[in-house]
Amino acid sequence: MAAASYVYGIVPADVEVAPGTLGVGEPPGEVSLVTFGKIAALVSEVDVERGPLGRMEDLRTHQRLLDETAAEVPVLPFRFGAVMTGPGAVADELLAPHHDEFASALDKLEGRIEYVVKGRYVEREILREILAENEEAARLREAIRGRDEAVTRNERMRLGEIVEQAISAKREEDTREVIDALAPLCVAVSEREPTHERDAAYVALLVEDERQDDLRRAVEELGERVRDRIEVRLLGPLAPYDFTPPE
Amino acid sequence: MTVQPAGGPASSGLADVIDTILDKGLVIDAYARVSLIGIEVLAVEARVVVSSVDTYLRFAEAMSHLEEEMEERAPAEQVEREPLRGEIEREPQERELTGTAEELQAEELRPEQAEERARVRRRRREED
Repeated sequence: MAAASYVYGIVPADVEVAPGTLGVGEPPGEVSLVTFGKIAALVSEVDVERGPLGRMEDLRTHQRLLDETAAEVPVLPFRFGAVMTGPGAVADELLAPHHDEFASALDKLEGRIEYVVKGRYVEREILREILAENEEAARLREAIRGRDEAVTRNERMRLGEIVEQAISAKREEDTREVIDALAPLCVAVSEREPTHERDAAYVALLVEDERQDDLRRAVEELGERVRDRIEVRLLGPLAPYDFTPPE
Repeated sequence: MTVQPAGGPASSGLADVIDTILDKGLVIDAYARVSLIGIEVLAVEARVVVSSVDTYLRFAEAMSHLEEEMEERAPAEQVEREPLRGEIEREPQERELTGTAEELQAEELRPEQAEERARVRRRRREED
């Protein structure tokens, strides 16, 4: 087998990994630490000859390990798929050259954790809003009503475009509202790009450990306030994927 | 409104996982990494918002359905929005058109390890 090191993230050197913790790949290697100075990399062995990683299970293993770790100690999570030639390369090419930068980033993350707030428009409600607000949309709706799709293609395209643009504008507004409501509870806020056409808000939040309950309550209240038109979800606690220093 | 239970994102959807670990986090310098990643099972395009013809047509179609629903009801009822909520998710049309994304969304993380103890934690410092 040609072994390589899969890297999950960077942690302070004074941590331990529970024996028997399994990583990505098939068969999965045991998760261990490569230590250098004050920092360490969470790694596991993968067999490069066994073919590509990327099964759903691998993605879940990667995220679960990092999120569970983040609940205990500061961690700089790596994007899925970081593989180096071996523990030596991890120490020499990753940890050594970036030691101070990683160590100071970990210091800043001490006692902090990430959450993600996701808002998704209730389709029916948002379409009603757009119809009520936009005369052209209302007119186009009349034009396509009961008529064959092929004959009304232009009208449909234009109507769809209006809807898409209207949602973009609303997304901006609603994202602002989410940030305004939650930012006071957070250390940092980072907007994510929308990944769904009905996304109303997609925001990552970095919070102090002791503010987690406050944040959950605030998100719940926010969700209640907007529930007719937006479904709000709170994901977390997560590793600080959105608050790691740029590579 | 869903608030995930404290202590881990054990029930977050696969789409959430993808958004997070394929888009965010540190990246090892290209020269130092071994290339063996194949995102074999994932329709990654599904997570990207594209202003495509399909999206436009789908919105238009949804609009025309919306109209029929509105007409079936008396105008006075228009304020009563609540009872209709949730139904739209079951419309076959929408499900078909957004299939991939919705499937990803519905995909649950297996909570098998949720109850276990932390796998990575601070070592006790004997010297302290």
